[in-house]
Amino acid sequence: MAEMWINMGPQHPMTHGLWNLRIKVDGETITDAEPEVGYLHRGIEKLCEDRTYTQIIPITDRLCYGSSLTWSHLYCLTVEDLMGIEVPKRAEYIRVAAIEMQRIASHLMWLAAYGADLGLMAGFIYCMRDREVFIDILQALTGSRITYNFPRIGGVAHDVPSNFDRDALRACTYMERRLKEYEEMFDRSKVFMMRNEDVGVLRRTDAMNLGVTGPPLRGSGVRYDLRKDMPYSVYPEFEFEPATHPDCDCYARYRVRMDEMWQSCRIIRQAVQKMPKGKWRILAPRNAPEGTGVGRVEDPRGEGVMYVVGDGTDKPYRLKIRSPIFVTVSAAPKMLIGYKVADVVAIMGSLDMCIGETDR
Amino acid sequence: MAERGKGISGPAEGLERAPSTVDEDPIERIIRSLLDSFPSAIADFQKLRKGVLRARIERRDLFKACKYLRDGLGFEHISMISAIEYEDRFELVYHIASYQHRVFLELITTAPKDDPSVDSVSSIWGGANWQERESYDLMGIKFNNHPKLERILLPSDYLYHPLRKDFRG
Repeated sequence: MAEMWINMGPQHPMTHGLWNLRIKVDGETITDAEPEVGYLHRGIEKLCEDRTYTQIIPITDRLCYGSSLTWSHLYCLTVEDLMGIEVPKRAEYIRVAAIEMQRIASHLMWLAAYGADLGLMAGFIYCMRDREVFIDILQALTGSRITYNFPRIGGVAHDVPSNFDRDALRACTYMERRLKEYEEMFDRSKVFMMRNEDVGVLRRTDAMNLGVTGPPLRGSGVRYDLRKDMPYSVYPEFEFEPATHPDCDCYARYRVRMDEMWQSCRIIRQAVQKMPKGKWRILAPRNAPEGTGVGRVEDPRGEGVMYVVGDGTDKPYRLKIRSPIFVTVSAAPKMLIGYKVADVVAIMGSLDMCIGETDR
Repeated sequence: MAERGKGISGPAEGLERAPSTVDEDPIERIIRSLLDSFPSAIADFQKLRKGVLRARIERRDLFKACKYLRDGLGFEHISMISAIEYEDRFELVYHIASYQHRVFLELITTAPKDDPSVDSVSSIWGGANWQERESYDLMGIKFNNHPKLERILLPSDYLYHPLRKDFRG
């Protein structure tokens, strides 16, 4: 049969953003694939060179609309490494609690979109509803719902509001009950399982070589979670298990994210209960010294890295951002080739695309 | 934890090494083995914090060293490639991670202003492919032997490399 190229995107319900997936098909079977990104390129790295260190925090929030808090946290972490600042304990605990809430919110948004992709509209509605619980707590904490502008270089913007611990613990209890419900709803859905199992297989060695990180990597059986293996912030003080799954397919990636939400609930509980008293922010110098700083965190989507070069002024000389999805999507052909056109939605959905950070 | 910016010298010459507890530390083993394999090209080791190592390498030996890092020392993952423009040179920073040893290596190489090119490592790590294209697109670094060195974020008919310091939007 004659082969042909099909554009899936830039306007396609599968893309969840603005990007284009060109696939070459032989009948129904995919023989080649080529992701195209760059539609949302805003030049954030160039933009940052013209802003002071403090002014960049809200810009880094805009990197990813799904989990903006982890990006501004990563930025602050990087600049603190450059300036050599020790952050107060309480600030670290507030950050960790907030990041884990953000992780649950991000995974819930992914699950909602994934459910809608695979024909479980009930999943979409349920997940979006429960995401509100965490968004509400984050709103009480930071004042906004999506782009928080909350971490500061040297701490966080303000202390937790009253009843934060009560609300957070309640939300965890609520979420754990809901997660059981989701697991029954998704795992027992025949349609969901048929579209997930043995689809989009990414072997362990391929996943490592192609730079895939985060849930797709752990779904390929590699036990590597930066929170555990190269800990930053106060993660060594918490008990949790990195989620892994040996199956390498879309179901494994779904399973890893579900398990991560369980673990995030565990971490939030510990962070809220063990939160020490004290200062939540110290004043950082306006100018950074000459030198470099590097930060590396486990974003909900994979490994986020920032590298900042300071030149002694109050503006960074260069800020380089590593987006996990930018690299993960370059491995998409490996997962797509050999499967049917109808599987594209499941495979690309299981990667949790976020174009804001991909294109920067 | 090692002190920040602590320099480490090369192996003592002509001495047969006795087995020591130092070798238990993967970072010490990696430094020693890199110094043994590329004595003239790699230098300036610094332990930044726990598990983070920095080194400088000559441009001509970058590919060989990267191949050795993956095959001989277990660095499976290239995390990030950053290109930085200074007044007199381009600097390329490779952040390479080892999943098994839990080590994060920052490998710095330089390229002169009139010849901003370096060997591509995308045949070693597939994850480097798009990152090198990004560095080419935004900073204009040429990666030799790259399978498809085209613009990735900007349109293909774009004329400039916007992250260069002389570019003003």
